Amino acid sequence: MERKRSRMEIISDMLGIIQGRGGEIKPTHLMYKANLSHSQMTLYLEELIKKKLVQKNKSKRGHLIGLTKNGKDFFLQYIQMKEFEKTFGL
Amino acid sequence: MRFVPIPDWFLGKDVLIEGFSFIVLLIFSFLSIRNYKLNKNRNFLYLGIGFALIALAQLATIITKLVLYYDVGPSQAIGAAIITSQLISSVDIFYSAGFFFHRLLTLLGFYVIYRLPRHKKSILDSFVIIYFIIISALLDKGVFYLFHLTALVLLVLIFDNYHALYKKNKFVNTKILLIAFGILALSQLIFILSNVEIMFVLGNIVELISYIILLILIIRILKHGKKKK
Repeated sequence: MERKRSRMEIISDMLGIIQGRGGEIKPTHLMYKANLSHSQMTLYLEELIKKKLVQKNKSKRGHLIGLTKNGKDFFLQYIQMKEFEKTFGL
Repeated sequence: MRFVPIPDWFLGKDVLIEGFSFIVLLIFSFLSIRNYKLNKNRNFLYLGIGFALIALAQLATIITKLVLYYDVGPSQAIGAAIITSQLISSVDIFYSAGFFFHRLLTLLGFYVIYRLPRHKKSILDSFVIIYFIIISALLDKGVFYLFHLTALVLLVLIFDNYHALYKKNKFVNTKILLIAFGILALSQLIFILSNVEIMFVLGNIVELISYIILLILIIRILKHGKKKK
């Protein structure tokens, strides 16, 4: 049985997915890829927008979720933290 | 009076090595505390404190040695005081205090790093604490090797912790960390024999190698993040 993801892991998964898609993604794609329900997705997205880690962009394809510079920096720090954690077994 | 068994040609170079170590330790401390702010895992905080203590220890010895070698600022003032009033004990206290803080902070830092993966106190832990306290109290110029012996014991215990971790995770970075602490332990073994000047030089060089390896580890951790990004 897989363990439940922490809040931090969900956030980093979301940021990683957006990053992997070149910095922008459709909200529905993000929801499926991050394996979240609609209500979870709305809650997390609100938090990420509030913290200026992502932003809503308008495009011809409709609304897109874009990674901000803060979001990129946060994601980088998170990966480095995980690497550090694994190295020292913390 | 002699505080440091060092050949003349090596004067100053040891300070450069300690300066380099100080920077590496400070980076580790900064990264650990930044990680703590990110995920609130207290182990990151303790690791950061451990590295910061050793960094401060390096700073204490750098300042003391700079004054000792280059006869600057307070040293000149104290020197003048000696000439006029023979206050030789003031100089003794200044240098002794500098090296005492170096020894105390180094051992405390190693102890914090050693204790990190242990959640429960064992008999071995209690033994280390008692040993540490006794040695700290006994430390003096005449028994300088006791400091290096204590540092060696702590580093061997740290090495053992990371060896156990490496056996579990088989992670290259942990192996690098293991090697760095192993070499650092070797440097302490060499320092025990540093009554002979050349051993002091050799100990410093081995110590430098261990800190270079730690710097490589930092670069790997930071670069890996960028690569994954």
